Amino acid sequence: MEPNNQAGVIIAEAVTKVYSDNGVPVEAVRGIDLTIKHGEFTAIVGPSGSGKTTFLNIVSGLDSVTSGRVWLAGRLLSEMSGRELSDFRRDSIGFIFQAYNLIPVLSVEENIEYIMLLQGVGKSERHRRVGRILEKLGLAEFADRVPVKLSGGQQQRVAVARAMVAEPVLVLADEPTANLDSKTGAGLLDMMRELNQTTGMTFVFSTHDRAIMERATRLVTLKDGRVDNDETRD
Amino acid sequence: MITFKVAFRNVLRQKRRTLLTMLTMLGGFTLAAISIAWSDGTYNVIIDMFTRAQLGHIQIHGAGYLDRPTLYNTVDDYAGVGERIGSIEGVVGWSPRLYSAGLASVGEKSAGVRIIGIDPVREIRTTRFDRKIISGRSFAQSGSLEAILGKGLAKALKADVGSEVVLVSQGADGSIANDLYEIVGIIDAGDVTSNQTALYLTLGDAQELLVLHGRVHEIVIIAEDLDDVAPLTATIEETIDRPELTVEPWQEFAKSFYNAMKADQRGIWIMVFIIVLLVSVGVLNTVLMTVLERTREYGVLRAMGVRPLQVIRLVVYEVTVMAVVSVVVGTLLSLVINYLLSLHGVPMPTSFTYGGMEFSRMYTEINARSFIIPAVTVVLSAIAVSVFPAIRAARTAPARAMRTH
Repeated sequence: MEPNNQAGVIIAEAVTKVYSDNGVPVEAVRGIDLTIKHGEFTAIVGPSGSGKTTFLNIVSGLDSVTSGRVWLAGRLLSEMSGRELSDFRRDSIGFIFQAYNLIPVLSVEENIEYIMLLQGVGKSERHRRVGRILEKLGLAEFADRVPVKLSGGQQQRVAVARAMVAEPVLVLADEPTANLDSKTGAGLLDMMRELNQTTGMTFVFSTHDRAIMERATRLVTLKDGRVDNDETRD
Repeated sequence: MITFKVAFRNVLRQKRRTLLTMLTMLGGFTLAAISIAWSDGTYNVIIDMFTRAQLGHIQIHGAGYLDRPTLYNTVDDYAGVGERIGSIEGVVGWSPRLYSAGLASVGEKSAGVRIIGIDPVREIRTTRFDRKIISGRSFAQSGSLEAILGKGLAKALKADVGSEVVLVSQGADGSIANDLYEIVGIIDAGDVTSNQTALYLTLGDAQELLVLHGRVHEIVIIAEDLDDVAPLTATIEETIDRPELTVEPWQEFAKSFYNAMKADQRGIWIMVFIIVLLVSVGVLNTVLMTVLERTREYGVLRAMGVRPLQVIRLVVYEVTVMAVVSVVVGTLLSLVINYLLSLHGVPMPTSFTYGGMEFSRMYTEINARSFIIPAVTVVLSAIAVSVFPAIRAARTAPARAMRTH
């Protein structure tokens, strides 16, 4: 039966994932049922090996399920071809990585513009959006710098700008504050929370960071590949 | 465009590695460009020697003469034909010739000969006939009943300058043709067969002997530029407008020599193979290392929605940028080297003489193919070799790649 896609950006239904580690099967995800609604600021937490990153990879189409189904923005991921998945990720998901992962040979401005270039967004629209987000995230003065000339916090802000500029339906962030000091991390989180509130964009974090947990509107705790606790806050 | 921009800047990330890879391509390109230019220069000298000194670049005969040479298949009104040829741009000179077989006797020695009737003035202008004479002199302006012998023939007949030679042949009217000539010169024609058989008479004497007044068997034409022979042949054919005559370039009337040259020039492909090997090993090494180092980057790109084909393009563009820059620099470098070698040449260990021309240095020839062949080879082999690592990069599994450091 098809789920009501209006209900959530992400709908995971009985998702399992079994890896083979040197021939030994490892159950990373053991049947997760989870719906993430539009505009939520969700933190997925749990100890190492609880299946956080695997689950995030599955819902972003970077990894496949062993069983179960995942709908993202109304599309069933398992029905998409490799090319469709690429295009879908490009157009619908913004990624923020622990290690920033900016393109080292491009300037801040070019890094932010990159996805829109791949999407074929027109020049004036690109410049308008890049200018606006640079201003919003306080990056305008670094627009011409290459990533290596920025601090970790600045680089992660650029990564946030890159993830959001194409206006995706979902931003997935894997340990976004892990490489930042607590003050810089807190500043970045406040900024993302504000963007979440002003744009209504859905954020999903995989994290160990208490600061994220404190700011999240929903806290999903995974344990041994299952949802151990699901707490929604006001 | 953005993919090209990233590729271009990626080239500059590992400067030392890029430089070494480009030096490999540059070396292969330059080596090949010089070798091909040198090979072409050498072949052109040999072809020029062979044609300019003896056969000419273009020949005119009666139709079918080359397949079946007979005394009776002649070019009539050769002077009128020659006059029209002489007015064509690109023609350096033309010379009429008459051929027949005969028996030559000096004292008690006899030998079969090839009688060649020539116009001494025109022959000197076209094939530098006078330079081939190694003993005695050329025909006197108003001389008659004079003969010049190939050096091998003179030796066989034990003849020398001043000796008298009796020549017996057959006239075109069926009569027995014979006459007595004074040997005024010995010639080194440039090849063994001609030296052993050639007996030159003035055209007038030969026409008198063979009863072929006003007729010749061949008109030899020398072109200004060897490369213009084909269009010049067409122009001559059109200008003389004599359907009963055939106008042929040297590639036709010296087909076996031409084919031998072409076969020998295939050695160039060995050089091309060496470049392919050099470039392939250098590029493959670099690209594989790069792809391995950037696994995480490719994973991130794939995660962000960059398509596999765009990743392939990124890798291939990087290699193409290096190859094109190497080719441009290599072209400039080899152009300078080839130009200097075309001016000054390289001395040969031992010089040799052919048809009165001495060759002691070999020169390069500056032409388009000596740059185009290596350029195409370098760029295509670099691209071909980069495709496999590029596919590997495109197949990077994002989730796994992002766990690598």
